[in-house]
Amino acid sequence: MKKFKFLYLSIAVIMMAVGMTSCSDDNKNEPDRPDIIENFHFDLWVALDRHGGMGRDVQTLVRSLGSLDAGQPEINFEGTGTEVNSVMSLETILKGAYYYQVPVSGDRFAKYRIENNRVITVAQSRFKTNTYATRKYTHAWTNDDTLVIMAADGEAKKIIWTKLDASDMSIISEGTLDIALPQGAEIFTTSGILNYRRQDDRLFYFYYAKTEGRQGKRVTPITVAVINPADMSVEKTSVCPHDYDMVGTAYGELLQTTTLITDNGDIYLACMNDDADGNEHSHLLRIPAGSTEFDATYDGFTEDGKLISIMYLGGSEAMAYARNDQLGEHIDDFSHYYTVLNLDARTARPVTFDGERLAYSSGRFSSRMAYVNHKAYIGVDAEGTNPQIYIYDVATRTTAKGATMAPGYYFEQIRVVENVK
Amino acid sequence: MSRISEFIYILMFFLLLPLRVSGGGIGVPESPLDTVRLGGVSVLGKSKTQRVREGAYSVNAVSITPSVNRLTTLNEIVDRSAGVKVRRQGGVGSDFDMSINGLSGSSIRYFIDGVPLDIKGADVGLDNIPLNMVERVELYKGVVPASLGSDALGGAVNIVTRKHRTGFVDASYGIGSFHTHTADLTGQFFLGKTGIAVRPTFGLNYSKNDYMMRDVEVWDEEAEEYVITDRPRFHDSYFSLIGQIEAGVNDVSWADAFFVSGSFNKVDKQLQTGAMQNKVYGDAARHSEAWNVSARYSKRWGALGTRLTLSHTWDRSETVDTAFRKYSWDGTWLPSSGNEINNRARSRRVYKRPLTVVNAGADYVIDRHHSLAFNYMLNRRGNKRHDDYDKSFEPSNDVVTKHVVSITYSQNLMDDRLQNAFFVKDYVNSTSIRQKDNFTITGAGQIEPDATKNYWGGGLASRFTITAPLAVKASFEHSVRLPLSRELLGNGTTIYPNLTLSPEESDNVNLGVFGTWHIDADNVLSYEADGYLRYVGNYIRARVSEREGMMQYFNESAIHIKGADLELRYVWRNSLTVVLNGTYSDARDRKRFKTDGNPSATYDNKVPNRPWLYGNADVSYQFRELSRLDDRLRIGVSYKYIHWYYLNWEAYGAVESKARIPSQNIFDISATYSWHEERYNLSVSCDNVFDRLAYDNYMLQKPGRAVYAKFRIYID
Repeated sequence: MKKFKFLYLSIAVIMMAVGMTSCSDDNKNEPDRPDIIENFHFDLWVALDRHGGMGRDVQTLVRSLGSLDAGQPEINFEGTGTEVNSVMSLETILKGAYYYQVPVSGDRFAKYRIENNRVITVAQSRFKTNTYATRKYTHAWTNDDTLVIMAADGEAKKIIWTKLDASDMSIISEGTLDIALPQGAEIFTTSGILNYRRQDDRLFYFYYAKTEGRQGKRVTPITVAVINPADMSVEKTSVCPHDYDMVGTAYGELLQTTTLITDNGDIYLACMNDDADGNEHSHLLRIPAGSTEFDATYDGFTEDGKLISIMYLGGSEAMAYARNDQLGEHIDDFSHYYTVLNLDARTARPVTFDGERLAYSSGRFSSRMAYVNHKAYIGVDAEGTNPQIYIYDVATRTTAKGATMAPGYYFEQIRVVENVK
Repeated sequence: MSRISEFIYILMFFLLLPLRVSGGGIGVPESPLDTVRLGGVSVLGKSKTQRVREGAYSVNAVSITPSVNRLTTLNEIVDRSAGVKVRRQGGVGSDFDMSINGLSGSSIRYFIDGVPLDIKGADVGLDNIPLNMVERVELYKGVVPASLGSDALGGAVNIVTRKHRTGFVDASYGIGSFHTHTADLTGQFFLGKTGIAVRPTFGLNYSKNDYMMRDVEVWDEEAEEYVITDRPRFHDSYFSLIGQIEAGVNDVSWADAFFVSGSFNKVDKQLQTGAMQNKVYGDAARHSEAWNVSARYSKRWGALGTRLTLSHTWDRSETVDTAFRKYSWDGTWLPSSGNEINNRARSRRVYKRPLTVVNAGADYVIDRHHSLAFNYMLNRRGNKRHDDYDKSFEPSNDVVTKHVVSITYSQNLMDDRLQNAFFVKDYVNSTSIRQKDNFTITGAGQIEPDATKNYWGGGLASRFTITAPLAVKASFEHSVRLPLSRELLGNGTTIYPNLTLSPEESDNVNLGVFGTWHIDADNVLSYEADGYLRYVGNYIRARVSEREGMMQYFNESAIHIKGADLELRYVWRNSLTVVLNGTYSDARDRKRFKTDGNPSATYDNKVPNRPWLYGNADVSYQFRELSRLDDRLRIGVSYKYIHWYYLNWEAYGAVESKARIPSQNIFDISATYSWHEERYNLSVSCDNVFDRLAYDNYMLQKPGRAVYAKFRIYID
């Protein structure tokens, strides 16, 4: 009997060891970033009435398409597509095959998929101690199944966090970040921006403090808190050496992405300030790989308007959606454009097609950028023409025309969604 | 029976009495030639309600008399009228939205005896006005008489109170499901020989509104999943108190009528949900109080009639949202990181909205065929806000002032067979906006803080009687509606301000036929069929923000509405009454371009989230002399149908994914027993007899089956 027990334990230990080894080999503790995705589709999000975002109520429709290549009929939503706005918010987290969010009910964390013109609830869990408002939080994935949600609390006096098991949306743990309001400050930014750097297994939380009131003034520099995801302890805070504002502080990265982390671990943060000409101009700041502080010598994208959203393309390139203030600052103004950033050289090259720069587009909080299989899909909603999708090939740096959308819609998002296996 | 009919019956009785007396007189020989044998006499008179209906304007005049004994509200009564739809968000005291001929409730103006109802307080409405002070409700469709001095776009509701020349007391008490209680008292007495009439009015409404919510989600802690279940509402009580005392004189040398009044109104309302029922509240509440003083004077100087009303209202409301709790439908809660309504800081928001109204009018009778009328209305509304808790809230003091001037020329020709009215109106709107919070939502950064704008409107109304059973009426108005303070400035709880709202403008056309056919002595059939067109620019439409659980009003650049309504009324022997009506309303978005200038996908689409096909049927029978000579029993059945409609634009999205508001088939029954010449009245009613699930708004359930009883005593 003892021999049998010994044999059993030995096998168990070996199995565990093999299992742990295979986990390590597959980087299962890190967020999944596959080079090529085999089975996926695109979800196109459009709005009627007006552009979404910022709490605006619009009828939001989602249509799933296998391809956005040219040569297909105009994409329209008459009698087709999923009407999501009574359940889901436009501001959402997407990973793999699922959407994650605090839905419109505002009382839970939920995981959805959109399939056969229906929103299917995959998992959900009720809030426990920390509660969040729909669309006003930031997030990061620390591994394939662990989603961290973070925001200022209702009085914006402290930063709360919740760690979720994304497989069933159960709450793993929750708490309050050990950050105190600096002297002279009254509230924190609504959501701040959270990202996770796998190279050193640390969360980076960008925020600042300000005076009260919805038009409160920033009283501290942009600050970054370095957090150990294991216990959510704040290991260090450091401040930005420049007097800049962050591009987005209220809605996390649910509508736009204002941070990116390169393959080698450089973290970039989109910021801005008002220049002497009265226009907003951006500044792309960097925390170098291996460091937890801003690189005071790096200040990119200072000549070309205001960054709205940025998306990493690999290597030292990123796609940016930016706004030229001189052409208009309103959400409906045709003043927005796509440009390819060289992060190392700090240069920007507007996207062209057939030798001409793409037309300026409307829609401020556009997430009409998606990256899959070394191609960037970008949506242009230009004046006097149908909404048009272009496909930028990262390897060849060429742009092809993609599918065309029927006129009349407010083109909101392109999302790459893995098919459910 | 109307007072005029009563009067004519009595008159005829006295006229015929001598015939009977002479016929049977002592000492006078009977002569076959002198004898008149009457098989029966039918004398027909028109009630005030009927006369209003037969005027030049397109109007429903709804008499309250048949309903005054039941536990119901003015809202429920007018909701059964052709072309009218009242959408409720819940039970007693819940927010409602009325539409008349397709234009939404916010396009409708409310008056009491020709003066804006707002003077009684912002929370006084068709739900809490004591029924027994009301004689009738006039619902003007599209074209609104200039005498109301209003900037209404789609119509107006004028509550006409009962005017007695004698002392009386009218008191009632009602009790019903969901812990509902009402008590009303109104009356009149005279101070000695001074001739001063004193009219106290008192109304109390209370309901816990704890009706069952069906198929709501509740978190099962053990199973760690949401389960679908039924739960009662637990934080929806409503208390309303209205008190008013009016004193004055009639028919003195210096005035036909001069009255001063003071009124007080208080409403305490718990908030149970946001704009959708999945936003559950358990502590948030709203309280309001309003004091009003007013005076009205009228005097006719021969051909010249004058009238003046002055009123000032101190209106204060408070929305309390200080609990950091997240409630569930089972009444449990968890600590929350923010308040209930919008997950922000604790808040006790106070709105002080003083209202000053001046209404002056004069009419001059040129001759019996022609008259002129002038009307001026000043409406100044303040909006002073602060927050006792939330220090981040920036106090503000906004003021919206409206001046409406109108002139009407009326004709009465061809022995009253042809009536015409021509009118012009001038609207001046001054705004002083100081609030700046939530500027991305409210548009505070896009407006001039101080602005004055002028708008013109006008129209005509005509009625021609071909024969008694057939008359036609037509009317037209170019109307302007300035945004309500609620639309422009929000309500502090579930409605965001939209400071960029522009006035609505509309060309309204009505064409109708109506008549009353006295088939024989027992059978009377009356009918009215109306067609209407509304060409609305800058249409103000409410949109629900599901994400926020909030609402906000927006301008749609153009909406065209066409529709028709039909009402048939059949009366047999003054006992059986059958009323059928139906309404069809088709509203289309005529906005060709999106806000960015590109073509709009919703052009010519049916405007979503509004009922477009609905109808009512009412059958009642009155038994007389059941157990005594002066008693009567009235039993009635009502049926209401509303066809289902989409929450969002109809043409877009797969049908299976689209949110919609389901059809309603609701039956109500009632029985009212009156005795001692209607001095005592007892009624029992059951609403929603078959306990059907009903929604007027997406995801906002209305009450199920409810039983009510009411006792009313009237001493004249």
